[in-house]
This record gives sequence, C-alpha cells and structure tokens, in this order.
Amino acid sequence: MSVHIRFLEWCANLCRRSVLGGDVIGPSHDHVDASLSHGSGVGTALSKFRVETATRTSRIVLVAGSILIFVLVLLPAFAGRTLVQEMIFVFYMLGLAQCWNLLAGYTGLVSVGQQAFVGMGAYLLFFMISTSDIDPLIAIVAAGLLAGALALPTALVVFRLRGAYFAIGTWVMSEVYRLVWAQVKSLGGGTGMSLATSTTFQIFGIEWIKSLFGVKTSIARDIIIYWVALVLCLGAVMLIYTVLRSRYGLALAAIRDSERAAESIGVDIFKMKLWVYMVTAIGTGMIGALIYLHKARISPDAAFSVLDWTANVIFIVVIGGIGTIEGPLVGVIVFYVMQTYLAGFGTWYLILLGTLAIAVMLFAPQGIWGYFSNRYGLELFPLRRILRANHRDR
Amino acid sequence: MTTNDKRELSTFDIDSGLFRRGISRRCVLKGAATAGLSAAASPVFAPYVQAARVIKLGYVSPQTGPLAPFAESDNFIIGNFKEAIKSGLKIGNQTYPVEVVTKDSQSNPNRAAQVAKDLIVTDKIDLMLVASTPETTNPVSTQCEIEEVPCISTVAPWQPWFIGRQANPRGGPPAWKDFNYTYHFFWGLEDVISVFTNMWSQLATNKSVGGLFPNDGDGNAWGDKQFGFPPVLDKLGYKLTDPGRYQNLTDIFFAQINAFKEAKCEVITGVMIPPDFTTFWKQAMQQGFRPKIASLGKAILFPVALETLGKNGNNLSSEVWWSPNHPFKSSLTGMSARALADAYTQATKKQWTQPIGFVHALFEVAIDVLKRAPTLGDAKATVEAIKATNLNTVVGPIKWGQENLPPFARKNVAKTPLVGGQWRIKDGNKYDIVITDNKTAPAIPVGGGMQAIG
Repeated sequence: MSVHIRFLEWCANLCRRSVLGGDVIGPSHDHVDASLSHGSGVGTALSKFRVETATRTSRIVLVAGSILIFVLVLLPAFAGRTLVQEMIFVFYMLGLAQCWNLLAGYTGLVSVGQQAFVGMGAYLLFFMISTSDIDPLIAIVAAGLLAGALALPTALVVFRLRGAYFAIGTWVMSEVYRLVWAQVKSLGGGTGMSLATSTTFQIFGIEWIKSLFGVKTSIARDIIIYWVALVLCLGAVMLIYTVLRSRYGLALAAIRDSERAAESIGVDIFKMKLWVYMVTAIGTGMIGALIYLHKARISPDAAFSVLDWTANVIFIVVIGGIGTIEGPLVGVIVFYVMQTYLAGFGTWYLILLGTLAIAVMLFAPQGIWGYFSNRYGLELFPLRRILRANHRDR
Repeated sequence: MTTNDKRELSTFDIDSGLFRRGISRRCVLKGAATAGLSAAASPVFAPYVQAARVIKLGYVSPQTGPLAPFAESDNFIIGNFKEAIKSGLKIGNQTYPVEVVTKDSQSNPNRAAQVAKDLIVTDKIDLMLVASTPETTNPVSTQCEIEEVPCISTVAPWQPWFIGRQANPRGGPPAWKDFNYTYHFFWGLEDVISVFTNMWSQLATNKSVGGLFPNDGDGNAWGDKQFGFPPVLDKLGYKLTDPGRYQNLTDIFFAQINAFKEAKCEVITGVMIPPDFTTFWKQAMQQGFRPKIASLGKAILFPVALETLGKNGNNLSSEVWWSPNHPFKSSLTGMSARALADAYTQATKKQWTQPIGFVHALFEVAIDVLKRAPTLGDAKATVEAIKATNLNTVVGPIKWGQENLPPFARKNVAKTPLVGGQWRIKDGNKYDIVITDNKTAPAIPVGGGMQAIG
C-alpha cells in the first residue's frame, strides 16, 4: 500500500510540474476530492490532490458541441433537402461506427458480422410494420431490442472463439441470419420487398411536420428520419462516453489491454463482453431498422451486406482512430467526402479506399485522430482522470 | 473489492494522464472546428446559381461490380444519345438543353437506393431511367414512387420488378397494388417459358427437365409453383425435377447433378448468375452429365460467359431480347438494329451484347415522353405522357396498358418481343448467337434450327 502512495505522489509531482504554471483551478472542475484516501489513513497526503477529467479543450468542445447539436436539430428548418439527406447518411454511418468502435476498440471484440444486427433490425421492422399497424418509430425501438435479444444466443456461439476465429465466426453467424431471412416467403424471400408508399408515410408527427414546414409528405418523412438518425447517432456517442466514464469503462480498457491481467484483478470478462455485445447489437439493430425504413425496400443481400454495414464501418473507425470517441467522427467525414467526390470513378474509388486504409494502418495505426491526439495532446471527450495538486489547501 | 477497484483506477489514470500535455492544442482545435463546421455547412451557404432551365435525366446502372457487363455499353449509348439531342429538345416554343446525370449502383441495391435519392434530391431530375436486373431497378423504382418522380425501367423481367416490389409478395392480385410513378418495359416469365418450350419442341427428348432456380429475385419468380415454370411445364407434359432453391455463388452442384442424372433429364433450364452456371456446367461435364438441351436465362447473355467454357459452350441456348437481326429502327437516330450493333463494335472493338438495344430504347422512350409532356417539371403530366406512349423503338413497339398482360400489371408494364437462340462456336474460341425459334415473335427472322448439344 505505501509503495502505491509513494508512486501516486511521484506522479502528482510530475503532473504539477508539467501543468502550465501549476495553477489549473476553477470552480467548475470535476473533482473527486480525497476520495482515494477512503479508509486508508493517509488522507492528509492525498487531500493535496484532486482528480480531474475535464480539460480546457473539453470544456470548449462541450460548449461548441451543444451549439452544434442545437444547429443540427434546427437544420431542416433552414437547410436544403440535399444537406438533410446527406446528414442522414452521415448520422447512421457514424452511429454504426460508434457501435463497432465500442465493440472492437474498447472490448477487443473484432466482429466482422455486425451486418447481422443491421439486417435483423431491418427485417424485424419490415415484419412488424407490414403485419400490424404499429408506428414505425416504435417499431425501430422494438426491432433494436429484439435484435439485442437475439445477440444473446449469437454471443453464446461466437464467444467460444477468439481473435481471427471470432471475426470469422461473427461473419458466419451473419450469413446464417441472412439465409434464414431469405427463406421467409411472406417478406419476399431472396427477392425482397418494398413498403407500400402509404405505409412509409404513416409515421407519428408527419402531418404536424408537413404543416409546420409546409412541405410534401415525402420531405416530411425525411425530416422525421433525420431527427431519429440524429437521436440515434448522439445516443451512440453519449452511450459510449457514459460507459467509458463509468467503472465499466475501466474494466473495458483493462480487457482491451490484457484480458488475462484484467481477469486476475477480478473483472468478469465474460459478463462485460456479453453486455457490450448486446448493447451494441441493440444500437446497430435500431440504426439498421432506421436505414431500411428510409430506403423502404429490403432484400437479404442488401440488409446483410458485409461491405456496406461492416467493411465501410471498419474503414471509418480505422481511418479515424480506433478506441477513441473522436476517431469515428473524423473517419465518417473522410468517408463521406471521399464517397461524395470520388464514387464516380467506379472501381478506382474502391481501390483508393483500400489503399488509404492500408496506408493509415501502416503509417498511423492509431488513425488520423490518434495521430493528432498523440502529437498535440488533444482530447475532445476526456476519459482520463488527471491528478492535480490542490494549491488552495496549502 | 471496492478499495481494490479504486487503487486500480488511480494508477490507471495517472499513468495515462502523464504524457498528455500540449500547448498548441487550442489552435489545433480551433482549426479543426472551423474546418469541420465549414465542411458541414458549406452547402447551406453556397450561393444559388440561377441557370437556364435544363431538362435533367437521371440514369442508374451497375457500371461496376458483378453486374457490370449489363452496363458495358452505357458510355457508347449515352454518347450517341447526347450527339442526337445536342441541339436541345423542343417543347412547345421553347428549346431546352438535355443533360444526363449517370450514377453507378456498384451492383449494390443499397447504393442504388442512395444514388436514386441523390438524383432526386440534389440533381432534381425530371425523369429517372434505370436498367439492368431487379437488384438495380427495384430500389430505384421504390425511391421514385415515394418521391413522386416519374421513372422508366427496363432489363428485368416484369414479375420480379412488379411482384418483388409489393408490400405483400405472397398476397396475389387483389392485395397487389399498381404504381403511380414507375413504369417498366421488358418481357415476362410467360414469354421466356414459351420461348424455351418452343425451342425444346424442335428436338426429340424424353421430356424430363431439370430446373436450377436460385433464391433470388429471378429464381424465386421462375421457380414459383403458381406463376413460374412448374405449372406450364406440367401442362405441356414435361416432367420437372426441381432440387429446390440454392444460394447464389454455390461451389458445389453435385446434389443437383445427381438428381438430374437420376431423373434422366435431357433438358436443363433455369436462371443462374454467370459464375454459378460456369461452375455447374463444368461439374456436370466432369460427372459425365451431358443433356441434349440447356436453356438458361441470365447466365449466358454475354459471349464472355461462353468463352470461359471453351468448346463446351457450343449449342447452349438462351433467351434473345435483342439482336442485330431484329427488324427494328431507332426513333431517335433512325439507325437499324444492325447499324447500332456495328457502330458499337466499331467504337469499342467489342462484340455486340443484348443490353445495347434496350439501353438505347430507354433513352428513346425518355425523349418521346418529354416531347409529349405538356409542361416541363410537372410529374403528373410526365406520367400521363408515359401512359400514352406508342413508340416504335430499336427493340420493337412500346406501349403501356396492353392486353398481353394480366390486368393487375397492365398499367405499369409494357412488353417487348422475345425469341430464343443458340450460341455457336465460330472461328476458334469466339461465339455468336443464332436465333433458332421465333414462334413468339414471327417478325424476327430465324438464323437456323435447334441443334442438340454434342
């Protein structure tokens, strides 16, 4: 124990020296004063310090982010349809990317089978709204939860595998689900089906949006889908941030860095992994349901596409920076810009995507964000707790 | 446990907090934020440029990916089309320039839906054109129906296009709804069934047929017990051996081959994707299964598919929807089918393929419709013009609302003539298709009779 405290003090000294002038103070600081001394009898030594998570950057980001979210919510009121349309795409790709990021970047579960849950959510949504009068918005939530429930048996199978075998296992499971849905004749089998135009217009609040913005039904529908996409995307980001800030986040980081070491200090690895796998399946399932509500047409090959719903998502996370919340934000911008301006080059565009991914993996394995973050110490969503000296106590 | 946790927590934090100090982080952040914001917001503040009204046609096709052979001639056709209407299109007293915005579906239904939406929302197209396989036509048509944008599609049998887009695909006619903005021209299953059975009747066989139907848009329609091959074959006295729906890109067809051998099938039919047929046919040859006739939809439309089979491709038969021998002329350029195919070969040094005629016809119909639509930019008026189409194109006459279709599909589907042909080897490894049966469309001349596979 005492060795441990010595170490803490040594670190704190280092911290103090490295902080500009050593006086980072302010009433708004997140501090966990002396909580470390609990029951240890060395309270006096430790009360000189406090633990912070917020940085100046993160506070600026919080303000700028809140403004940005506010602007995004109001976007359909002043932006053209094109922008709304593009943002729907950005939001759902970002949402999927954050889910995969939590899974692979923080838990070390490198799944290439997340399309299983996109497809599952989508098919469950189609099943619900074509067989009942359920509102599509409720169906999205229900489809997500059901996809999450189906993640449990899936996990029991794939969790028996590790590393590359796990990756292949998840892909195989997703193919199994694709083949199963392709047998459901009432949903079009391998051919797929489209939603009737009238069905796609029966969304809660659509009439209200129509009269509020004075637009036709299909535009009102897109606006609602835009908001749902925004909510799901922000939800995915906040979920990851909240999880990682909690004690579970530490457990996840420990698992990522060394499963064995984490287990030896009492982290219940299986439970943690299962929990993350199911939560990301719910998120992925809800986003999948939304994507296909937007497309209004489904077929097994499209809904369970490994290229669209996993390869592109991995690209976004890897390019941006795996294991960071900021990474996928950067990655999705890169992906969107490349797709918008380069997709017209056909095969060359795909070759370029692959080349860029390889280049980033070789020369900046932490991704674009990781590279800048290491270089300039940037952190928009601070997850670390920093020990600082308490000057006022002296 | 609690203290343990906390201790773990503290070392962890300090450790990682140590090296995270940056003086310049603020300026970097500022830069990043500005860049991010301006990237996100630029379309909002972009100045709106008022240009002269241009008629915009959106065209979606699979230019890359496994379906790419269907779109191989796109550049040639669109080049031709632009040349033909370079002086603009006269509607009323006004002449408008015509622009074609092409998008690649990458052979991917997700991408097809996305680019269709882009064309509608961003490019604000007046008319959507889409071609080649239900995987391309269906997502695009669905988007157009929702967005109320007129859409003309082709190169997909009408059943997978019409039934495959129903909210209740198993429901049957009263539950099936017609469409308000999406129209299609091509042939249907009933046509390919008559073409195939007519070809088979030219040769003496034991009337035992083996069917290869995958679990995809086409396969489910062809193998359907109510609307597909089975009821017709039954009526004509053929015995169908259908080993069930298989998945596309199957590696091993031994189960099917054994079933066909057991039933002593002398005729093979089905609708396979080209790589699957190659696999099937090679394995059938290895196993010593050599039927007299093999009539396949979709699999052997392009000469390259035959060339990979070497000499074993001789006398394989296929549906022929268009050939240089079709006695039709383009309403746009006045070119005959033969002239169009020759121009293609001259421009690209490649053998003609069937989609050339249909992609050309798609643009013929588009111009004809726009000419007759009284007001530009009025979707309903454009739809009325599509319905009233009566045009002789390079693939034959196109007219919606005809009697040759079941009542539920009449409004949205127009049929073009279909005949059958056999691929024959000419000079070494090159293949050419010879029309061997024209009972379904006597206007199209035959080039020879059916020959059994040797």
